[in-house]
Amino acid sequence: MSGVRLYLSNDTSSCAAGAERLAEAWRQRSDVELVRTSSRGAFYLEPMVERDSPEGRLAWCHVTAEDLPKILAGDGGIPISTIPFLSKQTRHTFVSFGVTEPLSLEAYQAQGGLAGLRNARQGSPSAIIQEIKTSRLRGRGGAAFPVWKKWDVAATAQADRKYVVANADEGDAGTYCDRMIMEGDPFRLIEGMLICAMAIGAGAGYIYCRQEYPAATACLRAAIRAAGKAGWLESDGQPFTIEVVSGAGSYVCGEETALLESLEGKRGVVRARPPHPAQSGLYGRPTIVSNVLTFATIPNILARGGAWHASLGTEGSCGTIALQLGGRVKQPGLIEIPFGLTLREVLDQFGQGMADGARLKAVQVGGPLGSLFTDAQLDIPICFDAFAQADAILGHGGIVVFDDQTDMLELSRHLMAFVADESCGKCVPCRIGSLRAREILDAIQRGQATEADLSLLTELGDTMKATSLCGLGGRAPYPVLSALEHFPVEFRSRLRS
Amino acid sequence: MLGSMRYAVKTPLPNGLDELLTHARPAEGAPPNILRVLHAIHDVCGYIDPRFIPAIAQSQGVTEADVAGVLSYYPSLNTQPSGRHRIQVCLGESCLANRCDRVVAAIQSQLGIELGQTTSDSRFTLEPVACVGNCAVSPSVRIDGELHGRVRPSDVAGFLDRYR
Ligand SMILES: Cc1cc2nc3c(=O)[nH]c(=O)nc-3n(C[C@H](O)[C@H](O)[C@H](O)COP(=O)(O)O)c2cc1C
Ligand code: FES
Repeated sequence: MSGVRLYLSNDTSSCAAGAERLAEAWRQRSDVELVRTSSRGAFYLEPMVERDSPEGRLAWCHVTAEDLPKILAGDGGIPISTIPFLSKQTRHTFVSFGVTEPLSLEAYQAQGGLAGLRNARQGSPSAIIQEIKTSRLRGRGGAAFPVWKKWDVAATAQADRKYVVANADEGDAGTYCDRMIMEGDPFRLIEGMLICAMAIGAGAGYIYCRQEYPAATACLRAAIRAAGKAGWLESDGQPFTIEVVSGAGSYVCGEETALLESLEGKRGVVRARPPHPAQSGLYGRPTIVSNVLTFATIPNILARGGAWHASLGTEGSCGTIALQLGGRVKQPGLIEIPFGLTLREVLDQFGQGMADGARLKAVQVGGPLGSLFTDAQLDIPICFDAFAQADAILGHGGIVVFDDQTDMLELSRHLMAFVADESCGKCVPCRIGSLRAREILDAIQRGQATEADLSLLTELGDTMKATSLCGLGGRAPYPVLSALEHFPVEFRSRLRS
Repeated sequence: MLGSMRYAVKTPLPNGLDELLTHARPAEGAPPNILRVLHAIHDVCGYIDPRFIPAIAQSQGVTEADVAGVLSYYPSLNTQPSGRHRIQVCLGESCLANRCDRVVAAIQSQLGIELGQTTSDSRFTLEPVACVGNCAVSPSVRIDGELHGRVRPSDVAGFLDRYR
């Protein structure tokens, strides 16, 4: 092929923004050699087309098919390095995004892939776990539990079989970084799972991927086949199998014990703990369930050392966080930065403020169970401890910005109705509490509720927080009660006098 | 033995499904997996006819109640055929913030159906979905396999025309 090489993302969101239409329009042209890469994550610029130049890649943004002559002539491209949204980030886990072809084994290794696995193979399982301990990595799925502790429990447990399970349920609305990894850099997830398998002595792995992600599922399956052919899939001289299993639209199946039930083919109902999955998980065997991003963070730690990872971020939150910006901001997209910037700094520096004509009303961090922040509260540092102190969660790093047209009562009702729908039904506080809370919010909307109902809503919330079996019921009241606290008039003005 | 014959008579399985169920039988000593079988049938038929429950139960060596329990638990397992084209509108928070309610209203008025319904000519089924991971270019609408981002209410008529 002698055409000009153009790079175009194959990511689901890039395609939804128009990249696929460009690919269709240009596929047959002999003057173009189209390379489908992962996405940089600067989704506000998509569809984006890049080409090589002596100063590195040049980008054309918001491209239409008619822009091709301009691109081929080299007119108007801007160097990637001059896009502040990207240059201000610290990319470690997402370093290859926008650069490589997701399913190229060579490109993965050229970018440093497998270096972590090689180091891991030179040491003992306990040396791997020690490295993770030094790194102070905490889980990225929401609970922020120290990764090494789980691995240590599973490694020392005696069992005929052990499992590694990647939680790819990514249920929180407003999050998409796991999807990006699975579609854009699947070998990084596989390498992380392999390192975990060596550390705990597991022979089989599963990736439980939500059904809403068909492209991720297909890409993972292709990556597993390719890795298998290349002889990568072994642990301690034994074959290590990885299978992708589809979810079926249930949010609570992202909770690790419900996920295991679902993997076993049953109703995805939460299990009482203890025992924790690391002791007794899939089919009663020691199982590490970790988030996709957590596994994808492991290869760099083994390649560059735990101390390197611990040197990034803040005291209690080491490393980088992948924030996913959405809602009514000017520049939505993926942001990988060390922990520690404030929420306001992130919204200003990366989001570049609100979309045209919109004014900020509230920001929800951490998915549908995350607390709402008002403008006055945005100076909170992005780290686990500050959020815990504020009774909030970072969750999986989703940030959704709402503008002043948002009806907070309707948003509260929507969030509580979601929990009522998704409750697995095992514990009463969540199953009944969420339904009653939704009913009260419905009644307020109809103008039929009284002050006493508002007190009941708060009381219900306190009971759910204190007594629910898992985080679904336990966290459900937070966004609603924070809306009530910050925007009381929107609730009270609709009460029956 | 008698049981299996009775089921075979009671449950007329469409082409290929009996073979699928034979294949899905757990190996000696291996645990059953109900959800896996349901997925496999759903992939073939587009929905799961509750009349298949006894045959599924038999293939997995579990009770009909077990199968019915799993089938009713998962939102994306349909028990009725849907229209020729499935429209999924995201109602996740990023899409909400970007006014997906207006997109939903446009689709509803165009098709004359509510969320969860199928048009009388069986052309479209309209379903809500909670986030498809396309939040950065929301609002999101998926029609069959194709995902559309930054959808405006004015786009709706043009989209729907393309699906016959
Ligand atoms: C209702 C609910 C939904 C959850 N959904 C997810 C999810 O989609 N993805 C995820 O990784 N963790 C999810 N979690 C957290 C998991 O239970 C678990 O903490 C996590 O998978 C552990 O991985 P980590 O140590 O890497 O964070 C959810 C928890 C709850 C209570
Ligand atoms: S909230 Fe609609 S795609 Fe994520």
